Amino acid sequence: MKEQDSIPTSKTQRSAKFVKTGFQVGGNYIKHYSKKLFNPTLNKDELNLDNATDIYNSLSELKGSALKVAQMLSMDNNILPKAYVDQFSLSLYNAPPLSGPLIVRTFTRYFGKTPFQIFDEFNISSTNAASIGQVHQASLEGKKLAVKIQYPGVGDSISSDLKMVKPFAFRLLGMSQKELEVYMSEVEERLLEETDYDLEIKRSIEFSEACKNIPNLIFPTYFPDLSSKRIITMDWLEGLHMKEFLKTNLSQEICNQVGQALWDFYNFQQHELRAVHADPHPGNFLITPDGKLGVIDFGCIKEMPADFYEPFFSMTSTNMLQDKIKTISTFRELEMIRKDDSPAQIEFFYQVYKEMIELFALPYMSQTFDFSKKEYFDNLYNYGERIARMPEFKQARGVKHFIYVNRTNFGLYNMLHELGAMVRTDTWKPHINTSK
Amino acid sequence: MAKKKTLISSEELQNAYVDYVLTHGSKPKSVYVFAKDNNLAEEEFYNYFGSFEGIEQSIWTDLCQKALSEVENQEVWSKYSSREKALAFFYALIELLKSKRSFVLYSLKHSGMMLGTPAIITGVKNIFEAFATGIINQGIESGELADRRFFTAKYKDALWIQFGFILNFWTKDKSAGFEKTDEAIERGINVTFDLLEKSPLDGLLDYGKFMMNNGGMKQNMKF
Repeated sequence: MKEQDSIPTSKTQRSAKFVKTGFQVGGNYIKHYSKKLFNPTLNKDELNLDNATDIYNSLSELKGSALKVAQMLSMDNNILPKAYVDQFSLSLYNAPPLSGPLIVRTFTRYFGKTPFQIFDEFNISSTNAASIGQVHQASLEGKKLAVKIQYPGVGDSISSDLKMVKPFAFRLLGMSQKELEVYMSEVEERLLEETDYDLEIKRSIEFSEACKNIPNLIFPTYFPDLSSKRIITMDWLEGLHMKEFLKTNLSQEICNQVGQALWDFYNFQQHELRAVHADPHPGNFLITPDGKLGVIDFGCIKEMPADFYEPFFSMTSTNMLQDKIKTISTFRELEMIRKDDSPAQIEFFYQVYKEMIELFALPYMSQTFDFSKKEYFDNLYNYGERIARMPEFKQARGVKHFIYVNRTNFGLYNMLHELGAMVRTDTWKPHINTSK
Repeated sequence: MAKKKTLISSEELQNAYVDYVLTHGSKPKSVYVFAKDNNLAEEEFYNYFGSFEGIEQSIWTDLCQKALSEVENQEVWSKYSSREKALAFFYALIELLKSKRSFVLYSLKHSGMMLGTPAIITGVKNIFEAFATGIINQGIESGELADRRFFTAKYKDALWIQFGFILNFWTKDKSAGFEKTDEAIERGINVTFDLLEKSPLDGLLDYGKFMMNNGGMKQNMKF
């Protein structure tokens, strides 16, 4: 892998990067339309691929939160065309690393020692990137360790990055400036939490303890003594990332086993802990040769307050949707329907959101659910595409908690789909106070 | 101050001097007074240093020397490219300067200009240039850096400019743990080395030269 030479850090430098991308994307359109002059049958796939490549290249040079945004965009398979998704998926575990001396420097800064003095062995070339940091292999007393190191200045640049990513993201997603504005602070908050490695190690230990009884789920041991504000040391888990795992010859049984572990992990957290690992992209998981799911990143945790949890899950786990009045009042509670909506708008959003909730809740409606079913996902994507085109949705709707909860659940569904897993969906059920 | 004790090492004299200037905000009135304060005869002082400037210079060169020996003793040193060696040196230097920050600020402030080379760091310049020449030669040998006629000899000056820039940046850095300086180093050194590396421009020049010599460029340019 080519070592990254520099992170463009100042705002002007980063802006320049975005401007460059803008030009390239513009160029791709010109290329596309001039080709189309001669070949009218040309479809947009190539154009999308060109754009995605340029955007990805530009984002991965930026590192930090911009890369995070790339990762986030890639989660929403249902919004972005496939070509974007394929390129953005690269960012999940393939960004170029930083210089060796800076790694040594980070260690001496926090431990007063070089990594070579702390560990028996330390590989100065990183094995992979973790979007705001990179992972190195080390060993101590015969134990193989994974050491995650954060890039300096990430926290500082998040806010300025987000400001710049905004117009870019609007264009990419075809949304209005106003629409995302409401949610930016939520995203910023989560991203800033992700740069806090002290918090991450605390959560990692808490969550791995809480989830330890879920079958076929494994967590690395964390070493707080060898961790700091910018460094996290944990056990090295042997395993493959999902994409690589799927390329090996797999039995349906193994896929189901991994899928079940994934399902249980998420539903246990949502319903028992009411806080969830909100970053379900394939780069955060490793699958061991015997089909166990390893969770390696607790940077992004979304806590679900009762005033969100109760109304949201009462829609999916009770027969509320049959009752139009109750449903509308719940939609109001979650700001999916607003105070100043006209009766016609209320009816419209009621229909659209009811369909969404029904789609989302489908896996919960039966004891087992087959996530390999293409038609279910086609329905999801079609729904997503349909609402993306509706002018009514040019405006922001829904409480801010939806961003990460949706990302989590659709991320989960997508991963289960890729696994082609059949899972029991009644293992961990929502706890709803029905007396209300 | 321990009046009874006789100073024996140059390091102790350096420390006493640093202590004096930082406490009083200025140089001692004379070598005589300073020596007397430290229970020395004036002539004994001259066994170690020729003047107060000499002490300051030696503090600087010691810091620089120490940073160098620190990085050179790191296990990875031999595996580093020229670029990485330069980065490692600056990180080590900045870390060492932290322990003497007050003195460094005092010393730079009282020696005038930042961008020209203040007299007190001429010793540092010599050490640094020797180091820079070493890693540049290594880079050219390994093909990491481009060997350009007339310019190669100036490479070390480019690095010395970075030295001044980084030092200047650090003196003004207000971030916790001077973390911003780390970024300035990573960025500045990388930019400098990007310029010293082989670039498309080298290829273009080379091609131009080739065309001049072989292509009958003048004739070909006429359409």
